[in-house]
Amino acid sequence: MKIMVCLKQVPHQDARLDIKGDGTWIQEDNIKFEINSYDTYALEEALRIKDAGEAEVVVVSIGPDRVSQALRTALGMGADRAVHIKDDEIEGSDALGIAKLLAAVAKDEGPDLILSGLMSDDGNFSAVPQMLAELVGVPHTTAVVKAERSNGTMRCDREIEGGAREVVDLQTPCLVAVQTGINQVRYASLKGIMAAKKKPCDVKSVGDLGLTGQVGAGAAKVTVEKISQPPKGDRAEILEGSTDEVAASLLTKIKELGLL
Amino acid sequence: MSTVLIVAEIQNGAIRESSYELAAFAHKVAGETGGSVKSLVAGQGVDGLAEEFSKKGGGEVYTADHETLASYNAEALGAAIRAAVDASGADLILISNTPSGWDVAPRVAAALDAGFVSDCFAIDIDAGKPVFRRRVFNGKLDATISADAERIVATVQPGATAAHEGGGDGSLTKLDVAIDAGALRSTFVEIKQSDATGVDLTKADVIISGGRGVGDPEKFSEVIQPLADALGGAMGASRPVVDAGWLPHEYQIGSSGQVVQPKLYIACGISGAIQHLVGMKTSNFIIAINKDPDAPIFEVADLGVVADLFEIVPALTQAVQKAKG
Repeated sequence: MKIMVCLKQVPHQDARLDIKGDGTWIQEDNIKFEINSYDTYALEEALRIKDAGEAEVVVVSIGPDRVSQALRTALGMGADRAVHIKDDEIEGSDALGIAKLLAAVAKDEGPDLILSGLMSDDGNFSAVPQMLAELVGVPHTTAVVKAERSNGTMRCDREIEGGAREVVDLQTPCLVAVQTGINQVRYASLKGIMAAKKKPCDVKSVGDLGLTGQVGAGAAKVTVEKISQPPKGDRAEILEGSTDEVAASLLTKIKELGLL
Repeated sequence: MSTVLIVAEIQNGAIRESSYELAAFAHKVAGETGGSVKSLVAGQGVDGLAEEFSKKGGGEVYTADHETLASYNAEALGAAIRAAVDASGADLILISNTPSGWDVAPRVAAALDAGFVSDCFAIDIDAGKPVFRRRVFNGKLDATISADAERIVATVQPGATAAHEGGGDGSLTKLDVAIDAGALRSTFVEIKQSDATGVDLTKADVIISGGRGVGDPEKFSEVIQPLADALGGAMGASRPVVDAGWLPHEYQIGSSGQVVQPKLYIACGISGAIQHLVGMKTSNFIIAINKDPDAPIFEVADLGVVADLFEIVPALTQAVQKAKG
């Protein structure tokens, strides 16, 4: 079987979020990037299927040169091949543009299963997986916390409200967008990292995928006009002072609350 | 916007509160643009609910009645929404950002080649066009998003506005949705309710909760648990801690864990993602300890300490133990 895993490289969760000059996004120069947390779980889920039998795992990511690092990490963890979609024309794409690029790769690859994360840690849109499933013409589900394969079916538990789970059967080929915590994600071993150097990483342009003029800022239907700090509400009173002074103030408050 | 279509949602045999919130947004947008409000009520045997919704703000309501719509099915609901869009000529489609809403909405948007914005908390009209506001970076920043498309699908955060009040003349139109149950490639199986958990945090007066900033599982027993013990309280955690396997799921506080309201909640090394905040923000008193002064947790806390939790928490534990004698 062939599994396609969609990975997004996002600013590191501890990176400084400074708003860039034109106000439309954060300053991305000179900050650390990492694989989107949700997507690491999707990759792990694919690698577990591979470990359990015969599967080829193809990781796909979109973005500038820095993205090759994320793909190398994924190859080091055990993926077999990588596809890096890289083109200046992609800049400013909306979710539908990104889904079109991934759909073009999926149509070339013909995977039995597409795995992705539920959403990205930067945009938090949760749109690309569902759109990709529609464009490829396969069933999908999201927020999956358990996935089991049997003859031509993926049985998925998806997280819904109040700690409940909704169980849905998807006929393969299908797309499964996973929730964090579905598994425990492995680290790349030194041996894996060495082996990854010999694994193929294809670079594709928008033109290679037959999508010239269909992605990027010009084709985007939605545009981030600006980002800003959320309005400050009745923010916490911040305690200043030495550690002992702060601890004493907290103790006073706890006593006032009648808890000591 | 000439026509706003609300996709209403049925939960436990009633129209969800969030559908009335969509109605509030729909009437606001329609009012400012001279448009009209229409709705879709999809399910099985929905005429009564559809009639009620039409009189409480739903406007002209389309009903889609089919066995495959009795439970959530992305393909069936998607087909019903597309049929309602065709019938209504809607150019703005509003769906609640609920587990079914977030699952189906982008798929419908792609099928309609529409613009898509998710999890909005505000919709304004600027020069006749909608402008959406939503959170990005897990609640740390706000984004303002414009849409330039013949059709826009947007999901709206439940609770973002008050429910629509007041009536209105409504009408019902039955939609003919051709769904072939045998041709669906996804099937609803069942709902599994959450397992009874061994740790009931909802009864604790004091909760000391740790997040990603605690760093590793041993630190929970070395730093967080002692403070909980000193105060006679319980230990809790945010989602990343549970996802990483540092603590079992029963310690998780938030939208996918337990919702708590103790007399005192101390958040240690928790940045305050929305999913955590909904689980604890109604606590009587909240103390937040975090190194990042911009962490959203400080927006809901009463008292904040911008410092290393590994200095403050042990010092507080010691102070509490000393005070108890």
